[in-house]
Amino acid sequence: MEHVINAQNLTIGYGKDEPVIVDANLKINQNEFVFITGKSGSGKSTILKSMYGELIPKKGELSVCGVNIKSINNSKLNLLRRYLGIVFQDYRLINEWSVEKNVMLPLMIGGFSKGVCVKQAQKLLKHVKLLHKADKYPLELSGGEQQRVAMARALAHNPVMILADEPTGNLDEYSSEVIWDLLKNAKEHLGTTIVVVTHHIPSTLGIDYKHFFIESGVVYEVS
Amino acid sequence: MKSLKNHLSVIFPLFVLLFSLQFALMSDKIVKSFTQRLTNDYSIVIVAPKKLDEAVLMSKVRGIKSIKEISSKKILDRLKGNISSKNISLLKVALPKFYSIKLKSFPDLKEIEEIKNKLLKTKMVKKVETFAKTHTKVYRVFVLLKSVSFLFSAFILIVSLLLMFKQMRIWLLEHKERMTIMSLFGAPFWMKSAMLYRLAIVDSFVSTVLVSIVYIILPNIEKAKEFTTSLNIKIPEFDIIQDGGLLLGISLIFSLFIVSLVIRKMNTQ
Repeated sequence: MEHVINAQNLTIGYGKDEPVIVDANLKINQNEFVFITGKSGSGKSTILKSMYGELIPKKGELSVCGVNIKSINNSKLNLLRRYLGIVFQDYRLINEWSVEKNVMLPLMIGGFSKGVCVKQAQKLLKHVKLLHKADKYPLELSGGEQQRVAMARALAHNPVMILADEPTGNLDEYSSEVIWDLLKNAKEHLGTTIVVVTHHIPSTLGIDYKHFFIESGVVYEVS
Repeated sequence: MKSLKNHLSVIFPLFVLLFSLQFALMSDKIVKSFTQRLTNDYSIVIVAPKKLDEAVLMSKVRGIKSIKEISSKKILDRLKGNISSKNISLLKVALPKFYSIKLKSFPDLKEIEEIKNKLLKTKMVKKVETFAKTHTKVYRVFVLLKSVSFLFSAFILIVSLLLMFKQMRIWLLEHKERMTIMSLFGAPFWMKSAMLYRLAIVDSFVSTVLVSIVYIILPNIEKAKEFTTSLNIKIPEFDIIQDGGLLLGISLIFSLFIVSLVIRKMNTQ
């Protein structure tokens, strides 16, 4: 099976500081649901950042969708990111844009016509039960609603892989359920690979998953 | 509301910048026409023992626009009652020739001295009267006018530059988050920066239109008319094609340059 993510002896860190992740080896296959857990500050988000090219590895190799992150240039990185859907803990929506336009962003970047963008955005907003708030601005929504918009945005362009950083960290039960359902559906119906960084794995997920645990900079695969 | 505030914060310094620029250009035009009038009014009188070859003199002394002989008839007519007609005839022959010289441009004191020396060196001229005292007074007013206009424009230009750079820092903060988010989804450079460039182009256009309106209306305001008439100057008409085009070009160059600086700074951070 093809590895969507293949890390070998991966060492990541910030500037000249001590590396956060040391000699990590992890392989993630297509259509897998993966959890990365660990304590706060263990490097969960750091490893995710390296997967979407925000952090370049200090040592070792990291390949994402067949692209070597270590030697990637700007245009290749842009191209790679168009195949990914990223969900952030702090949502990172564009506050000056309407909810609908935020969802349209990956499609606009992909060069789709406005008609296609609007249709797809409305379809996804319906999925996350926010179609009635399409014309609102992010700051007019609750945290849970903003995260659902962020999830709709991440799914808008049918990405190969979704990278989610604590997607339900600050959410109420209802919004959390909507998010997990969406991720599950993306894996089951669209064949999307899902990588979720979280403090804790929901017990009611009802799906097979792979689990990596980070402690003191070392990544362990939990069997 | 926020969008309007965003636009206004760019339009205002651009407006000030263009206003001061147009003011400097307008002042320059006024000073030029004032200088032309001074040049037309100013003349040097020379005395020559015999009739001058004007072409030769003009070739020897640069900067002369025209040489005109001053008729001695009036002087002689005034003497007619006191002197006999025989003596008048003798005087007519003996009297030297007087000429009035007009210059191509309004000279400074050094240039006047140079022209005077050159004229005397030709041996064709016996005496030169430059009316230096009158000239100096006018020339000083002229220099003062030029300096004040330059200083005023330079001051406004500096203030507007500072405002623009301050605005640039605000842009940096305002757009950084949006551009970063777009980057995370793989937006190409042009798409990330399109909004800033569009903002710069629209605001350049709006500020140019506003400044043009001010300078179109200004010469027609009664108070301004009275003021300029009292100073014996005329505010030049605003040429929409030439002046407006120049202002639009400058504001576009300036705002696009600043946007590029902002984007460059964002990319290097």
